[in-house]
Amino acid sequence: MFRYIVRRLLLLPLVVLGVTFLLFFLTQRLSPEMRASLYVKDARQMGALEEVIRQYGLRDNVFKQYGRWLGQVVRGDLGYSPSANMPVSKALREYLPATVQLALLTMILVVFFGVWFGAFSAVHKDKWQDSLARVVSVGGFSLPIFVLGLLLLMFFYGKLGWFAPGGYSFQTDMIIHSAVFKNYTGFLLIDALLNWNWRVFGDVLSHLVLPAVTLCIGSFALMVRVMRSSMLEELNKEYVRTARAKGLSDRQVIYKHAGKNAIIPVITLASIQFIRLLGGTVIVETIFDYPGIGRFGVLAAQQLDIAGILGFSLMVAVLFVLGNLLSDILYTAVDPRIRLE
Amino acid sequence: MSISPVLQVEDLHIDFQNDQKPLPVLRGLSYTLAAGRVLAVVGESGSGKTVHALSLLRLLPAAGRVSGGKILYKGENLLALCEKELRQVRGQKIAMIFQDPAASLNPVLTVGEQLTETLRAHRKLTKEQARQEAVKLLEKVGIADAEKRLDEYPFQFSGGMCQRVMIAMALALSPDILIADEPTTALDVTIQAQIIRLIKQLQEREKMAVIFITHNLALASQVADEVLVLYGGMCMEQAPAKELFSQPKHPYTQGLLASLASLKTRPERLPAIAGQPPVPGEIVTGCPFAPRCPRVKEKCRQSLPPLTKRGEHAVRCFWENKP
Repeated sequence: MFRYIVRRLLLLPLVVLGVTFLLFFLTQRLSPEMRASLYVKDARQMGALEEVIRQYGLRDNVFKQYGRWLGQVVRGDLGYSPSANMPVSKALREYLPATVQLALLTMILVVFFGVWFGAFSAVHKDKWQDSLARVVSVGGFSLPIFVLGLLLLMFFYGKLGWFAPGGYSFQTDMIIHSAVFKNYTGFLLIDALLNWNWRVFGDVLSHLVLPAVTLCIGSFALMVRVMRSSMLEELNKEYVRTARAKGLSDRQVIYKHAGKNAIIPVITLASIQFIRLLGGTVIVETIFDYPGIGRFGVLAAQQLDIAGILGFSLMVAVLFVLGNLLSDILYTAVDPRIRLE
Repeated sequence: MSISPVLQVEDLHIDFQNDQKPLPVLRGLSYTLAAGRVLAVVGESGSGKTVHALSLLRLLPAAGRVSGGKILYKGENLLALCEKELRQVRGQKIAMIFQDPAASLNPVLTVGEQLTETLRAHRKLTKEQARQEAVKLLEKVGIADAEKRLDEYPFQFSGGMCQRVMIAMALALSPDILIADEPTTALDVTIQAQIIRLIKQLQEREKMAVIFITHNLALASQVADEVLVLYGGMCMEQAPAKELFSQPKHPYTQGLLASLASLKTRPERLPAIAGQPPVPGEIVTGCPFAPRCPRVKEKCRQSLPPLTKRGEHAVRCFWENKP
């Protein structure tokens, strides 16, 4: 197992190199002048473009330029992001935790309700409970996320005044940027707990509710389907018959025996969904004005912020590999056949 | 017979639902099983033997349904029990082992967990007590190093070992009846013999009644006190084992016995029964064996022969006494 993890981690640099080089190569389609103009702050400097090109070596061979970028990255310098108006590394540190929080909360909801609903659906196969679960999940799946998000926002915030958009309220902003609030992890929920500040915790959580619910409803349907079919398959297996023949209760047969086996494919799906959420909650972050990494990525792309785009992709690639690794480790936790190989 | 019966099956009918049309797979099976005796139910694939076994514990798949008859365990009709009462019987009074032992154990739970949960489902035991019991059970079925093996998973056991675990699980609560549904079919021959010996040994020691389901007549002859031959969902012949093997009366039984390999005769080719067994659920008038019977007469195709009993030997054939 340990060797397996090491092997997977050795793969990490390869993936990162591949993704970033591909993107770097694409940026070379822009002429050096255009790339140079991105560094220019005001009109007077436009005359000095040639100077910028020379200074940053923008006419060099693509490998040489890439190598230079890589050298900076190794030293921890991801460049400056004009779109976020701060160094890329600072932007990632600031926005990533917010997205991770959102993605985690969403996944907790998706897994909890998806597994429960799916199992429930399978146990009541072809009865009205099953049909209800199917309608609810397919309904959620068919509703475009931006429609759903706007509807929720209109109703809960517009009409009821609950769950404001944004990452946190103005008061919270004041608190977390004051000297009394210690920044331990960058994850506001955790920091709020560590600071024993329930107001901040509640405020941040309430800002997470609508985006998380919106994302959840989109991913939930697939989870229900997977859990349902996996559960149906397990319920037909011979060990389930053995469990019944032993005189176990329905609860034990379904949840302990079939459930523990049925959950295995759910782990794959959940990790895929989690990784996707980390890199791509763009729409939801935009609708709810949530200060996450997706919004940063989109802004960078729109404004041709090359350093920002590269930094963003670098991070997504790393998360992708780590997320897959995490799901493999989770597998071993539930399936002894993998753990003891 | 002086021993009281533990199980009486009376006129048991089982249908399978297929496209709204019920297909009969078991048609009027009756027998009595005395305490501590071994009954072998012999038949080809599709004869209804496994379905009958599953119905005893009401474990039929969703499409199957008992459409008539009674299953009396010590006088109590199992078909009339509610779920909760049924659970008291399952595992505790009647236990079952299956054809494919590796698939019959849960792959993600340890063997120990699966053993102790059986004990704890029926008896008030602490985890520690249940574990002690489980160790004894594994030792009883001849698994060495039991204490350590409790923490292993089924995939770390061989097929034969898995079946031993299944047997240990079945014996956990000293049931009155053990149903063994082709317990050795998935195992190789040397292991087969060991498992059969083990079942026989434990049956004698624990004084259990056993319903031994098999397609293998030779196996049946090794273990059974009594043999019931099923064909097309019906009992064709039933007799004490010795008598059935020495004087088979039904042409089907005779055909089966003739097709057994023997070291004495060594024919070039083993004789076989011509034709195919009926498709389960196919409705036939007359004797189900008629299409393949060497002694068939017109009457056989028109009406079903009754099961007639002489002493302890019952046969379903019009011509049992006439060659």
